Amino acid sequence: MVDPAIRTEGLSKYYGSVRALSDLSLEIPQGEVFGFLGPNGAGKTTTIRLLLGLIRPSAGMAEIFGLDCQKRAVDVHKRITYVPGEAGLWPSLTGEETLHLLGRVHGKIDENYRNQLVKRFDLDVTRKIRTYSRGNRQKVILISALMSRPDVMILDEPTSGLDPIMEHEFRDCVDEARERGQTIFLSSHILSEVEALCDRVGILREGRLIEIGTLEHMRHFSALQLEISFAGEVPDLSSAPGVSVVKSGGQNVSLQLSGPVKPLLEVLSRYEVNRLTSREPSLEELFLSLYGEGGQSDETGAGADG
Amino acid sequence: MKLVLVQMAEDLNVGEASRVSKDWLVARRTIRSVLPSGVLWGVVFGVFVASSAFSYSSVYKTQAERASLASAFGANVSTSALFGPGLKLDTVAGYTAFHIWLTTAIIGAVWGITASTKALRGEEDSGRWELMLTGRTTQMRATFQALSGLLGGVFAAWLLTAAITAGSGRAQQFGVALRPALFFALALVATALMFMAVGALTSQLGATRRQAATYAGWVLGASYALRMIADSGTGVHWLVWVSPLGWVEELKPLTYSDALPLVAIFLFTLAVGSAAVVLAGNRDVGAALIQDRPHARARLRLLGGHFGLAIRLVRPVLVNWGIAVAITGFLLGYISYAAGETLSRSSMYSIYSRLGASGTGIEVFLGVSFLVAAVVLTFVAIGQLTATRAEEAEGRLDQLFSRPVGRTWWLFGRLSIAVVVLVFFGVLSGVTAWLGVAVGTTKVSFVSLLEAGLNIVPPSIFILGAATLAMGVWPRATATVGYSLLSWSLLIEFIGGIGAMNKWLFDTSLFHQMAAAPSVPPNLTSDLWMTAIGIAAAALGLVAFARRDLQGR
Ligand SMILES: Nc1ncnc2c1ncn2[C@@H]1O[C@H](COP(=O)(O)OP(=O)(O)OP(=O)(O)O)[C@@H](O)[C@H]1O
Ligand SMILES: [Mg+2]
Repeated sequence: MVDPAIRTEGLSKYYGSVRALSDLSLEIPQGEVFGFLGPNGAGKTTTIRLLLGLIRPSAGMAEIFGLDCQKRAVDVHKRITYVPGEAGLWPSLTGEETLHLLGRVHGKIDENYRNQLVKRFDLDVTRKIRTYSRGNRQKVILISALMSRPDVMILDEPTSGLDPIMEHEFRDCVDEARERGQTIFLSSHILSEVEALCDRVGILREGRLIEIGTLEHMRHFSALQLEISFAGEVPDLSSAPGVSVVKSGGQNVSLQLSGPVKPLLEVLSRYEVNRLTSREPSLEELFLSLYGEGGQSDETGAGADG
Repeated sequence: MKLVLVQMAEDLNVGEASRVSKDWLVARRTIRSVLPSGVLWGVVFGVFVASSAFSYSSVYKTQAERASLASAFGANVSTSALFGPGLKLDTVAGYTAFHIWLTTAIIGAVWGITASTKALRGEEDSGRWELMLTGRTTQMRATFQALSGLLGGVFAAWLLTAAITAGSGRAQQFGVALRPALFFALALVATALMFMAVGALTSQLGATRRQAATYAGWVLGASYALRMIADSGTGVHWLVWVSPLGWVEELKPLTYSDALPLVAIFLFTLAVGSAAVVLAGNRDVGAALIQDRPHARARLRLLGGHFGLAIRLVRPVLVNWGIAVAITGFLLGYISYAAGETLSRSSMYSIYSRLGASGTGIEVFLGVSFLVAAVVLTFVAIGQLTATRAEEAEGRLDQLFSRPVGRTWWLFGRLSIAVVVLVFFGVLSGVTAWLGVAVGTTKVSFVSLLEAGLNIVPPSIFILGAATLAMGVWPRATATVGYSLLSWSLLIEFIGGIGAMNKWLFDTSLFHQMAAAPSVPPNLTSDLWMTAIGIAAAALGLVAFARRDLQGR
């Protein structure tokens, strides 16, 4: 049997009383593009740093290609690269020097691909890192991660600071990587990016994985978005079974419905309904409802971030 | 309705802006970061004053002894060029002022430069200013606030030095009234004040903190050189008036207490400080007046791995240190004859002998010089380790450690570079001191000076090891642990020099553990112990580092 690209079991990380990540069990097969979503402070970066072995788990374990991320870190790192949302680079080195260094440290790189990436991302590599804008610095990190053509790429908000053209370029690169069979773990707040790229999505909230699956699957099991326009009296639907997030304005009511449709239809049948439209939620609505569930994240109660 | 809303938004905005600038956010941040070092140096300066005064009065008891010391130093052009002219050396006050002014002036200047370039260019470099400045306060106001915060630090230093000086001045042997004591304390912190302003100005010029500090360092060097020429007895004494260090010298605290140079000091500080504020208002955040060349040719030779990278990163700093060590070693060797002759005729000798030096005057002088070199070397050691920790704190290690780089190897590499450099600097100080001696008229053997140079390495290895252990188990305290060990040893050594000191307590000073070679042979046993403990601590630190989470600031 082929090892999954990434596998975690009961992976947890506590900072004192803050549960940054609890009991994460995941399995990502080779060649998958996996989206990792969640509100600020949900534990995405924590998960990624655990996978990289930069921090130690409080409980559980993580493996990449069957190798333990802590004990076999160096071997694991030969097969992966990492793009943080904002990386510390050496201000006195130039772009070219940085790419050369990171390539050499990694071992093997594809020189042609590297030069091609520098052109595609329109990066002036003769400048010192200190004088780069934030977006340009991000390009250096992206190129350094892509140029090694690793088996797994772990990306944590990789496009932060990139302009839309560059972001488009990034998507093309991810698509190419997918075609080559590389596995990609992508954490992002840009939902359109995730929607366009990812085969499967996991959603984290307050350190727990609350949802995982393909987008189709999630849509199917998630709330239906209904818009109802009444001719006469407008009923209070908030107590109807399965109904949530009710907004009403004049004769129109919009709501979300989870579970079977029949109970709501029975209620509606007693009123004069002009129009009723239903659609599956957009990714954004899906996440808004999931993120919103159970109130805000516990960040305010949990204390400082960094 | 719309109008009202706009009005409200504006009110809110203005309200917030004025509230925040009233809060003096930047000033408060600055004072918080500069206060600990201000307090530390205030106390250290005060202890310098008191210990120097009491040691003089206990060692030179008779008027005859004092007169002979005064005539010996007074006639010596080389000491007056290097350390400034001694005035009324046959009094406690005169000797004390002469004995400590240069040390405190240099420490004050270095502290001033470090603190102000950190508060201004450093904060700006790190991007923290950008956050504070957006819509809240202007660059100009922020600079002004930072300078005010720095002024608070100098004030704290002055207050403590003044309090200790005035307190010890009440003792009969010292006998200094309140006003001269306050004036003396002012003279001691004056260089810190001026060089904070200089650092603020060069922070506008240089694009990085290192550059800003280097420019300010040149100003310090030039100002020392000018006053050295002025005091070299070549008839150009007026040159003392174009040097900030010269003004401090001309204050003649404790002897003639001339207030006139204070005018120059304050005008200089005001002018340079204002220039910094104005320049800050006329440039963009993050920009510099002397632009760093944005482009550079790629130099890839060292960039084949993390070890080469480490060498590339530390090289510029080490070259500067190396030059400083070489020049100092040479000068001390060169003056050792004159200084040693003076010393053997005076009974100052007994202080040094308490510090463990013995032999001819020249050897004792060299012994004490190498003690100073040992202190400087520990600064190099701590600097190396704080730079190492900064790689982690600034997130640069994430890039290395997410690639196939072993943590232990990386830290081991950085430590090896530090150790090689420390040993090299030790040898360098010995060799350059020998060159200085050879150019002069002294006869001290090459081997004994080389030994003396190597002899200063073990205390640094000890501190390097202890700080590595701190980095392994409590990374945020890396610098604190290093500097605490250093200041503890220094303080014990200084107080031990004055007189009776509990033997066990004295033994806790690393510099006391180190024999004062070349005046006495190196103490191999304690050298080996310090080295062994340092290596053991470093090994534990390595193990702990490989097992812990990476931590940011
Ligand atoms: N070193 C640390 N010490 C204490 N708490 C921490 C530390 N690092 C992270 N946390 C906490 O762990 C939780 C998860 O943080 P994490 O950075 O993983 O969130 P995230 O999902 O990446 O958020 P974002 O979308 O904002 O990047 C937060 O509550 C954070 O405050
Ligand atoms: Mg994050």
